[in-house]
Amino acid sequence: MRELTFIEAIREAYIQEMKLDESVFLVGQDIRGSIFPHTEGLVQQFGEDRIVDTPLAESGMYGLAFGAAQEGLRPVVDFMFGGFTYVTFSEVSITTGQYHFLHGSQQALPLVITAAVGTGMRLANDHAMSVHSTFCHHPGIKVVMPSTPYDAKGLMAAAIRDNNPVVIPWHLGLMMERGHVPEEDYIIPLGTAEVKREGTDITVLANSVQLKNALEVAAKLEGEISVEVIDPRSFEPFDMDTLLKSLEKTNRLVIVDEDWENCGFAGTVSARVVEQGFDLLDAPIIRVTTPNMPIPGGYMENYVAPNPERIEAAIREVCA
Amino acid sequence: MALSKKQMITLFTNLVRADRFDKMFYARMLQGKLIGFYHPGEGAIAPGVAAASFLNDDDNLSPHHRAHGMAHNLSKGIDLKYYLAEHTGKETGCCKGRSAFHFSFPEKKVYMMSGFIGYNFAPVVGWGFAAKRRGQKQVVMNCSGDGSYGQGRAHESMLFAKTMNLPIIYWCENNGMAIHSSIEDMHPTKDISSLAKGFDMPAIIVDGQDVFACAEVALKAIKRARDGKGPTFVECKTLRFKEHDMGTKDLKGYRARKAEELDPMREREPVLLATKRVLKDGILTQTQIDAIGAKADEEVAAAEKFADESEIATPTVEELMAAVYAPNA
Ligand SMILES: Cc1ncc(C[n+]2csc(CCOP(=O)(O)OP(=O)(O)O)c2C)c(N)n1
Ligand SMILES: [Mg+2]
Repeated sequence: MRELTFIEAIREAYIQEMKLDESVFLVGQDIRGSIFPHTEGLVQQFGEDRIVDTPLAESGMYGLAFGAAQEGLRPVVDFMFGGFTYVTFSEVSITTGQYHFLHGSQQALPLVITAAVGTGMRLANDHAMSVHSTFCHHPGIKVVMPSTPYDAKGLMAAAIRDNNPVVIPWHLGLMMERGHVPEEDYIIPLGTAEVKREGTDITVLANSVQLKNALEVAAKLEGEISVEVIDPRSFEPFDMDTLLKSLEKTNRLVIVDEDWENCGFAGTVSARVVEQGFDLLDAPIIRVTTPNMPIPGGYMENYVAPNPERIEAAIREVCA
Repeated sequence: MALSKKQMITLFTNLVRADRFDKMFYARMLQGKLIGFYHPGEGAIAPGVAAASFLNDDDNLSPHHRAHGMAHNLSKGIDLKYYLAEHTGKETGCCKGRSAFHFSFPEKKVYMMSGFIGYNFAPVVGWGFAAKRRGQKQVVMNCSGDGSYGQGRAHESMLFAKTMNLPIIYWCENNGMAIHSSIEDMHPTKDISSLAKGFDMPAIIVDGQDVFACAEVALKAIKRARDGKGPTFVECKTLRFKEHDMGTKDLKGYRARKAEELDPMREREPVLLATKRVLKDGILTQTQIDAIGAKADEEVAAAEKFADESEIATPTVEELMAAVYAPNA
């Protein structure tokens, strides 16, 4: 079985989609020189018209993508770091999310926003923050995040083919993870969660790098607590059915999410479970998230973001 | 570039139509027959007519928000009855009655409207990029007010347009005001177009009350863009006769605008000036002018009839939820 790194898998999705569809192109800052390796060598292969470097100005850069999408192209716009989307936030959140709906469903806006996110490099708040909950807050935008090389390629391809704005941040902590990635083209439909490990005592919903941590804890607890681990893969639309089905079996839930606790994805899922599956629960839900503080850099990062110790403690508490 | 007689008649006709639509919106707002707010266009409708009257269907247009872009949109060949229906919450509205004052006519390459002043500066970059990539000589007419040039994205947009040599016209309709603020308090130089210098972009200043003068400049800038020579900055010095937004106070800073200031403006009313000119140049007779006015009144009446006879849009929440995303084939 062929293996690729996570970042190579994203790159392969770009190549595959650009070959399939002339209207797909990448735009960002310093992507020709590949500030991150997902754009390595692409300008040589596809030319400067399709691998577009822009001035250091996020509103102009995003405007290029947004307007090009209205003109029938399918841009992938790379913000480098997720936090940089805030520099042009009225565009990426409100103007983008409302475009199709508010203007009478006349025109689709097929574009992809991508960026690196996450703790691990000890870079502190502006470079380490997650952005998926914030984007989920704005109607009209799909938000997904891969946790494996296989999912990275399939979700990126699906995002590019979707007729709507799709935000797909990728976690720096996964960049060099290796895993099976088929050479042929495939997509993972947006809005489909996956049970990554079966179990019977408790469900842990964990995404991106936290999926890795959750699986590590589940393996450690084997024989003691049987942990089912689900990767949402897609935050919006969210696959509630897969989660409720799991809860029918386990009746217990821990949600792990590296985004902040306040108004975050984990809180939204908790609320939905209480509304739609309260009778399934034998214990309160616990969230393992980043506490509501600006993410510190340096070594403090280790215990602020969710980690295996915090996940294990939460599982034990819910199962006690 | 001297205008042809035909071009002058087109401009005059569109100007009269824009004036009648503006007055109708104004009147309906007072009668409670318009949803949301209205930013009256009186005194300021000539630049929009000039900017849009000679664009092709496949040129992009981003109208200025004043008079809710009606001068621009009707000059681009858009039937405003769908906009009035939108502004009255009707299901026949151009955005299915969902948008209050927004509009979208993608078939005429008028994609959108946003409530954020200066929003236009971002997407025009993409339209220009796409036009250049296609190589079919389309241009992007980007219209907005003096106030909008305070936005950082305005500067970014010009940076992109010049660096990438995009066919964008920065069409600034400078009425010297943004809500109550005067431009002297918001901009360091007399002319907004001085901004263009920093980008080595050609800039032209024109009398915004003179629809013909504006159109001559528009044609020049459009030609430059079509010829692949890149962006041009056009500053139309115009006026605002009424308050910023109907029902708000008409202030300059925090003091009321005075009659001494407002009255002389009336002498520079664009329809008045254009009428004098077409008569003087023998382009139109008074009888023809009256006929143009009568036809514009008919058009306005028909738009009102259409909107008033349309049903109020009342989709279910489920139907609306199903419209949040575009379908995937
Ligand atoms: C982002 C944003 N800031 C402020 C406003 C409020 N606002 C609406 S119109 C306007 C003035 C705009 O001035 P200008 O661009 O000169 O156009 P004018 O109204 O003078 O025709 C302002 C400040 C807004 N709608 N959007
Ligand atoms: Mg103004």
